[in-house]
Amino acid sequence: MIWNFLRSTSRGPALLAGTALVLSLSIAPANAQKAEPCIAGSWELTGALAHTGLAIKMGIDAAVDEINEAGGVLGQKLRVIAYDDQGEPSRAVDNARRIGERDNCIIMIGGYRTPNALAIRTVLSEIGQPWMGVISAGTRVIEWENGKNEWMFRVSAKDRWVAPFLVDHALQRTKNKKIGFMFEATGWGQGAVPDVEAAAKAKGTALVGKETFNIADQDMSAQLIRLRDAGADTLIFYTVDRETDAILRSMDRIGYKPTIVSAWGIGVQLGKTAGPLTEGVLVHGTFAWTGQLSPRAQKVWERIKAKENLKDPSELVLPSGTANAYDAVYVIAEALKIAGAYDKTKLRDAFYQVKYEGIIANYNPAFERTVERHDAILPAHYKLLAYHKGILLPVAQTPHALRF
Amino acid sequence: MGEILQYLLTGLSLGGIYALVALGFYIMWEASKAANFTHGDVYMFGAVVTVVLVEKGLPVVLAAPIAIAAAAVIGALIERLLVRPFNKEPNAIGWMLTTIAAGIMIESMATITYGPLGRPLPSPLAEQPIRFGGAGIYPQEMLLPIAAVAAMFGLEAFYRRTTLGRAMRAVAFNRTAAGLMGINPNRIALIAFALAAAIGAFAGILVAPVVQAMPAMGSLIGLKAFGVAIVAGIANARGVVIVGICYGVIEKFIEGYISTGARNAVGFTLMILALLLFPQGIFGRREVVKV
Repeated sequence: MIWNFLRSTSRGPALLAGTALVLSLSIAPANAQKAEPCIAGSWELTGALAHTGLAIKMGIDAAVDEINEAGGVLGQKLRVIAYDDQGEPSRAVDNARRIGERDNCIIMIGGYRTPNALAIRTVLSEIGQPWMGVISAGTRVIEWENGKNEWMFRVSAKDRWVAPFLVDHALQRTKNKKIGFMFEATGWGQGAVPDVEAAAKAKGTALVGKETFNIADQDMSAQLIRLRDAGADTLIFYTVDRETDAILRSMDRIGYKPTIVSAWGIGVQLGKTAGPLTEGVLVHGTFAWTGQLSPRAQKVWERIKAKENLKDPSELVLPSGTANAYDAVYVIAEALKIAGAYDKTKLRDAFYQVKYEGIIANYNPAFERTVERHDAILPAHYKLLAYHKGILLPVAQTPHALRF
Repeated sequence: MGEILQYLLTGLSLGGIYALVALGFYIMWEASKAANFTHGDVYMFGAVVTVVLVEKGLPVVLAAPIAIAAAAVIGALIERLLVRPFNKEPNAIGWMLTTIAAGIMIESMATITYGPLGRPLPSPLAEQPIRFGGAGIYPQEMLLPIAAVAAMFGLEAFYRRTTLGRAMRAVAFNRTAAGLMGINPNRIALIAFALAAAIGAFAGILVAPVVQAMPAMGSLIGLKAFGVAIVAGIANARGVVIVGICYGVIEKFIEGYISTGARNAVGFTLMILALLLFPQGIFGRREVVKV
């Protein structure tokens, strides 16, 4: 009847065209959800953080190669697309649009820096692009202030959960119950301050000192003298390799030897640069490739070793990041199987149904429909690592484990 | 008392780096009235090349001179290709852009080839700190201010007692008149840039055992050293070294008694105030121009 009405009026052709346009626009978002079988990353591939992007890509490549050798997902081989954001949020935003709109990849994988992940939140919501974080641990990446995160998931640590983990281990080690805090003056370091303070308060204690420093600082004697004078015998670190090397040397200069319990900004490179000064430094992580590996993890390492021409697991500079990336790809693949199509909305919904045992944890389920459970790795999965003879190992495999 | 001594010692070490790098700006300015903004990257280049050569199996006593020589060649190339063609007019500033761009390129190339992470340069002088009076310092760090003062006196002797040095002073005094006396100012500038680069690379090698050699190590040091040279009055070697060392010490006391976050803000504010009070630099002379 409507059809006849349209044909009978003088403006029929125009109305028909207009109706067709409206209909086509109304179904456009549904079509836009059909995506390509590509996993695309915005990573730090050049610049001072280039090692982080390469560490992520190693894990992604290893999992994608395994999956493709087994026939791919839903009959299609996965492709990896890597874009460089040099650690700059503005470039990450550009890359997110490119990945979501031009490449139309089924999933975007995040990089190292939390500010980059925070910068793309609005873009991902706007274009309906699933995103998987594998390192950037900022709480607000997943737990948005407005509680409306629909598209961002993470197979990594979360600062809000890491802080109590670090405080717990610091309290287990301190002799005088005086804990200090050393953090870098970045979004990551400063963002951790309320988390660490809250975790300490929850344990009935308070930090005796908080000290910060700038990126590229070479001497932290002043801050350490203040912490030493405050009586801190245990320090919590939110620092990265280069500055931690400077902190350890500053400690050596002033003869200050507190116990150090660090977030995972420090990695295997510190053992190479600071050598004996790292002995006994404890580090939070999700995985260690050094030491004894499970048979499956050993196979993954052999694959990475061959592909990347490595000699030793200690050459994996961000061990947790590489392992997170590896598990994340399998979580995505499992979700795609449940979704039954390369469809972004269906993939997002399928994430809540994924049950999968990875090399880091048994994700059962990987995610839940709550604000805080878009994180797959739970505090129970966190691991404490320690430097021993310059190598970062699971603490149980070192003399630095607590023996009760 | 121990903390004051600690700030003084680490400040002297840091100031030694500023002074050595700033000396390079002084040398280049004297010869060509231009500066090489890749100088911080040349400082990095010396450290990085030495680390690579040591990793290849060369002893550091051989690796360091090779790295210094390579830096000198790069310094000369920068003068010939990036400064001289853009510094022909009296008030030319094109060399600023070309050298800043080259600095970014050098750092990028180093990141691609060497990798972004720091690597150690082993030194027996950076293994055990010397501790006294509640403070401590690695012997390697104490070499830095000593090297800066030695370089300053060495330069002064070179300028006064050698033919080449006198020719460089003549060019600094009056480029045109020096040219009329048979001195080739372009050649002098080339040599000056090579010499400055060599000193910069030497500073990088000295500091590498305590800070790790990495591509990003030079940019901020280069900027601060340039500031030090300007505040000192860029045409005064002694002034450059004194201000460099003092600036390092001041930074440490700011960190110790105000805050780490205030270090750069207060430090650069002091530089600006110094320039307001001494427009020619603290040790600079007002230039008399005949018209």
